[in-house]
Amino acid sequence: MSSILQNAQVTVLAGASGIGKTSLIRGLIQQNTSGRILYFCPSSGTVPIDSTQIQIEFPHVQIITEGQELELIEAVGKGADAYIELGFHLDLRSGDNLLQALSEYPTQRIAIVPTGLKCSEWHEWATEVQISEMIADLNQIQHIQMWRSPCTGQMFDPSSLNVIWYELTQGAYGDVCRCKGIFDLPDGRSFYVDFVKGNPDSLYLPLHLPRWLDGRPIRFSGIEVMGRNLDGSAIAQAITDSCLTDDVIAQYQQQIKQSLSIAA
Amino acid sequence: MKIAVMSCIHGNYEALETVLRDIDEQKAEKIFCLGDLVGYGPFPSNVVEMIRSLDIPTVQGCWDEDIVEGINSCECSYPSVLAERRGKFVHEWTNQHIYDETREYLAELPKTMVEGNMAFVHGSPQSQHEYLLPELNGFIALERVLSTGADILFCGHTHVPYVRSLDGAELQVRVMTGVESLTAESKSFNAPLKRIVNVGSVGEPRHGRPNATYVIYDTNSDRVTLKEVEYDYKKTCAAIIERGLPAIFAWRLARGMEYAERADDASHLCERGV
Repeated sequence: MSSILQNAQVTVLAGASGIGKTSLIRGLIQQNTSGRILYFCPSSGTVPIDSTQIQIEFPHVQIITEGQELELIEAVGKGADAYIELGFHLDLRSGDNLLQALSEYPTQRIAIVPTGLKCSEWHEWATEVQISEMIADLNQIQHIQMWRSPCTGQMFDPSSLNVIWYELTQGAYGDVCRCKGIFDLPDGRSFYVDFVKGNPDSLYLPLHLPRWLDGRPIRFSGIEVMGRNLDGSAIAQAITDSCLTDDVIAQYQQQIKQSLSIAA
Repeated sequence: MKIAVMSCIHGNYEALETVLRDIDEQKAEKIFCLGDLVGYGPFPSNVVEMIRSLDIPTVQGCWDEDIVEGINSCECSYPSVLAERRGKFVHEWTNQHIYDETREYLAELPKTMVEGNMAFVHGSPQSQHEYLLPELNGFIALERVLSTGADILFCGHTHVPYVRSLDGAELQVRVMTGVESLTAESKSFNAPLKRIVNVGSVGEPRHGRPNATYVIYDTNSDRVTLKEVEYDYKKTCAAIIERGLPAIFAWRLARGMEYAERADDASHLCERGV
């Protein structure tokens, strides 16, 4: 990592979907020993998957949401470090106003680009370009649609989630290049699941959250699918058909509570 | 004599036509059908009409029964909540797209047929809903064949074809005699070679390819031949979408994957329909 990166107070990342923006930010946060740290992912709206994951992994990091940009500017003014992640679907200039307001602080614009891509708007925009192992496939980078939905309050039947994930990643609902989500399961655990086209396996990561065993979970869950020719209504139907009813959730939760009390 | 045995057509008219042509080429003298003429596929009534017009001896499948008497699927049938909801949706669809005359025909189908040393059932002699998976406990498998009095049991329902020989088996039975006496008399006997032949599925394969499967059995040479036949599955896929069935079924059919139902647990003995 360059010395400029270490000195930057504001770090902005951009790049294609699934190229490793959030992973790089997680690495930077892990190495950052300074005081206050903020993270902002503009336009994540009601499906803040990356923000939620970062919040769970780094509870000391303050998550900035839409409308809280002034707070971010003030915090940076008081010495905080900020990491801003620009989703692939955003115009690279969409963060210009915010960056203008932060221009007096050391700022680094990092673009992560696929291997083989020599010239792009990311190259023009960035102060530093990092090369990903992802191989440049313009079809995969360009003309990508996004379909996303919050699932907060829902609990998924694990077997159904496996079926949907298989169908999604194998092309049943369009040519999916990236798919990620946070899902609550009836045993009270919450999982982050991530698929990037070209990688052999999806990532299944249990999140460090307390088991939710009292009714429907009041915490974020949701799904984001990127690709071409996506059939959003069919995805929505499959998701709806995979969620458990109140009765079944209650039944599961009672069983889990009993087994946990026996184990204790 | 060469006979052809087929099962689980599931409203896939295109696959049925192709299989019947193939059977004709094999010069089979008689055809038996192990049920599940309807359900999942886009042309349930057309399939029934074809089977009836050719006067093919047919046993009742679990879907045929459910369309007559209401859904009676066991929890072992569906591997997930999603699959169960899809299954119930298409049950309703089939219910709405079937003629009364078709329903009457399905209601009258027998559960078991026996001809010579051959028995024909959909799932098992016990129930149309019971899966005789190839890994089923040998004793239970043998019991199922023996209960028919036949040497060779043809079944379907799993949609994955196989031939299982049950030979050299010795059965031991303890018989309690008398109410007050706790003594039991042990009896043992040897069973001659028995076989279970699962003929797969014409219309909804679950073996990883979209092709239809059926079986040719030569009664003279006692030879079983599993047949896999390519057909224009894309026509069926198009019809699934055109007729308002879930588009995901077309995707799954093209990959030889189950639409919804699938059995995994060979130790589960289904009690539905017993």
